[in-house]
Order: sequence, then C-alpha cells, then structure tokens
Amino acid sequence: MIAIKTEKLRKEYKDLVAVDDLDLEIYEGELFALLGVNGAGKTTTISMLTGLTEPDGGDALVFGHSILREMNEIKSFIDISMQETAVARKLTVDENIEFYAELNGLDKETIKRVKNEIYESFGLKIVANKQAAKLSGGWQRKLSIALSLVTNPKILFLDEPTLGLDVIARRELWKTIKGLKGKMTVVLTTHYMEEAEALSDRIGVMKDGKLLFVGIKEEMFEKTKKTNVEDAFIEIVGGGEINA
Amino acid sequence: MRDFFRRTGVLTKRNLKEIARDPLSLIFMIALPLIMEVMFYYIFHDLTEQFAINVLAPGIVVFSQSFLTLFTGLLISVDRSTSFLKRLYVSKARSHEFIFGYLFALLPISVLQSVLFFVVGGLIDSSFWSFKMILGIAGGVMSSLLFIGLGILFGSLCNEKSIGGVSSIIITGQSVLSGMWFPTEGMSEGFLTVMKIMPFKNATMLVSNLVNGFENVLPDVIFPLIIVAAYTFVAFAAAIAVFKRKMKSK
Repeated sequence: MIAIKTEKLRKEYKDLVAVDDLDLEIYEGELFALLGVNGAGKTTTISMLTGLTEPDGGDALVFGHSILREMNEIKSFIDISMQETAVARKLTVDENIEFYAELNGLDKETIKRVKNEIYESFGLKIVANKQAAKLSGGWQRKLSIALSLVTNPKILFLDEPTLGLDVIARRELWKTIKGLKGKMTVVLTTHYMEEAEALSDRIGVMKDGKLLFVGIKEEMFEKTKKTNVEDAFIEIVGGGEINA
Repeated sequence: MRDFFRRTGVLTKRNLKEIARDPLSLIFMIALPLIMEVMFYYIFHDLTEQFAINVLAPGIVVFSQSFLTLFTGLLISVDRSTSFLKRLYVSKARSHEFIFGYLFALLPISVLQSVLFFVVGGLIDSSFWSFKMILGIAGGVMSSLLFIGLGILFGSLCNEKSIGGVSSIIITGQSVLSGMWFPTEGMSEGFLTVMKIMPFKNATMLVSNLVNGFENVLPDVIFPLIIVAAYTFVAFAAAIAVFKRKMKSK
C-alpha cells in the first residue's frame, strides 16, 4: 500500500524553486531515505508533508488524505523529529514524555505503557528525572526522537536525526531506528551516506528540488556502476539525471 | 471544546513549570521588585510623597509586570529557536491554544505579584490595609494582560538574542513614562501628553486608583482602563496574527 504519494508537489521562495514538481511514492512500512546536498529540498518536502509549510503547487496524499484539504486528519497519524533537538528544556525526561502524550490526548494507562516502552527501547530510564537542558546532546536527541514515537504514528519523519552526534551515539540511534522498521513507515533525510546505506529499504536522491533517482541500493549501484551509496550519490548529483 | 480545554491546560502546565524553574525569571519578576519596594520605601518615604506606600506599592506591581513581557517573550523565542514549537505545530494543537497556554501560565504569576507587593505594603505601613486591595489585584490582572500580550508578540517576532533588548523598551517605558519614580508636576506639556496616550501611566493609575480609592470613576478608572484595554487588544491581535503566520510559513 502507498503511504505517501506526491503529485507535482512544488514550493518556491522568491526566485528559488525549493521543490520542483515532485512526484514520489513511499510505501507503507518501508524506511525511505531522502538524500541530497544542502538546499536540495528534502526538509522543505518534509515540511509540506507535515503541514509546517504550505505548497505552492501540486498536492500529496498521505494514506489517501490530501495535505491541502485534510491536514487535520493527517496530523493524527504522523509525527516528526526535527533536525534540531525539540524538547521542553526545563521539564524532566519523564515530564517531557507525559506532556507530549497528554497534548496528543493519550489516556493515563496508555501514557504509562508508552513511557515504559520508550524507557526500554531508548534506555532513557536512567535519566528519567533529569531536566532535559541538563542532558548531553546525545541524550537530548534521543529524547527528541523518542517524543516523536509517543503517539505511535503510522508515518514518522526523521529529519537529519543524527546530525551533530558522535559516532557512538549515532550507532546507538541507528539501532533504535532499525527497530522501527516494519512497525511504521519511516521517512529519513540525512547527509550521512553510510546511514542511508545501513538503514534504508529504498533511497531517493534530490538535487535543486528535483528527484534524480529513486530505488533500492542495488539499483543505485547498477545505474552508477559504483559499489557504495556515497560514490553512487556523488555520481548522481554530480553527473546529471539518472532515471530509475 | 473538550480538546481545546485539555490541550490549553496541558500547554499552560508546561509553560508554568518552565517559568517557575527559571531562577532568573523569579529574581526579576518577584525578588527584585520586592527589594525595590522595601528599600525605596525606607530610604525615601520621609523625603517625598512619591514613595509613600500607597503610591509605591501599585507602582511596583505594574513595574514588576513589565518583566512579564521579557520572560513571556523569552520562553516563546527559546521554544521557537529550539524547534520545540515546530514539533507541537505538527500536533493537532491550534494557534489560539498555544496563546492561551502562555497567557494562563503567566496570569497566576501576575496575581502573585499583586498580592505579594500589596501585602508587603500593608506590613510596612498598616494604614495601607484595605478591602480595596482586592480591586487593586483585579486591576493588576487587567494591566498584566497588556504586558503578557506584548511578550507573546515580541516572542513570536524576535529571536532569543534580541528579545532582551526589545523587552527592555517596555521595562524602560514603564519606568520613565509611568510617573512612578518621579512627580509629573512641572513636566513639559508634550511629555505629559505622551504619558497620557501611552499605556504605562494609565496602567499605574488604574491599579493605584483601584487600591487607594477614587473620586470620579470616569477619569480615574474607566478612561485609564479603556486606554490599557485598547493597547492590550492591539497587542493580542498582532500577537495572534504573527504567531499564526509563524506556525505556517508560506
């Protein structure tokens, strides 16, 4: 089943076309990595799909709901983890989870269960009573991602989830993200090619708002005659349009 | 409607915790005005009527409220800069629920300010005790709406680096244009006119006349109330418009 289908989705900022008539399909349950250099249009695409930015043209269907007309319905089954850490700084880890769960209308029993699940999968139990502002960058990022799972979304958008993390913290997060595979549809944007290689089921490559490639890793290697995602990516964004 | 109350309540609780756990906000909103009230009374009350407790206490109440602008603005600008607000925008919460969440979190602090500075006034000079304190607290709530509205507006417009500078305009305005620190007799007509049309002196007059009693309700209470309410309305209308625009970038 198709989870997301964009139809000529477009966003312009003055003279710049940030997303250029994007046609893309993302399937239910897959982990889709959207790659591109800075300014490629990845974050703008995610912003439009999550209702943070209004498109200038086209539409997208998220589980059949239009982002132009049914964003409120869409909001009930999506969530996002931003590039930047997005937590309530003066609340404890426990209070952050509770706050986000209550805001989204979860009942007390569910909140209790969700907390336990999050503590277990993210290892946050040991810092549960610490204020978020007093945690290290790695722990804050973990909490930020954990919050996006509180509502058990059908689609999770992870925008540069490991940006600025050290290699150990990044690998730990990979493990957590891998654990989400099959449970929900995950759309991941990243600058780290090895991250896309390790985690994704399919890869999309954007440049200047256009989708240059979409397919599985093996197709990417075959098209570019390369043996890893990083070299293949460089070949695609540097070597012109390659159709999947 | 049920969702509105639930989400607004959750946002209010979170905002109140954020402010209450910031020692700087408590120092500036509570401790500093308290020290000023006690210190200025004991140093100056024999020298000038300006620092008699019935003049000083209401002045301190409104002066302390000007810091509500700073700390409301700071909370919102930090929420924006850390993408915390963006995350919440993806939830079903609406812009007016966010604004009520900030407003309702700050209102108890403004009530605490009024109660504390009036009670301390009564302890310093027992002749200040009066049931009219309740009216003064009600007036304080009215004037605090203005400063909270300005805080929401500035917090939606400014980043966390510029919010201090912009808010200090309001704090300075309240200090200079309220007439609380110096007598206004003998000032130039132009300066007095500016004071009359700005909300600062009117907010101070409103609280002062309510807590001390008034002779004529129209010039002493209604006119200052109308001016403060008009500025409050404009501040909130602008805050809602800016906040909504920031929620959904075009």
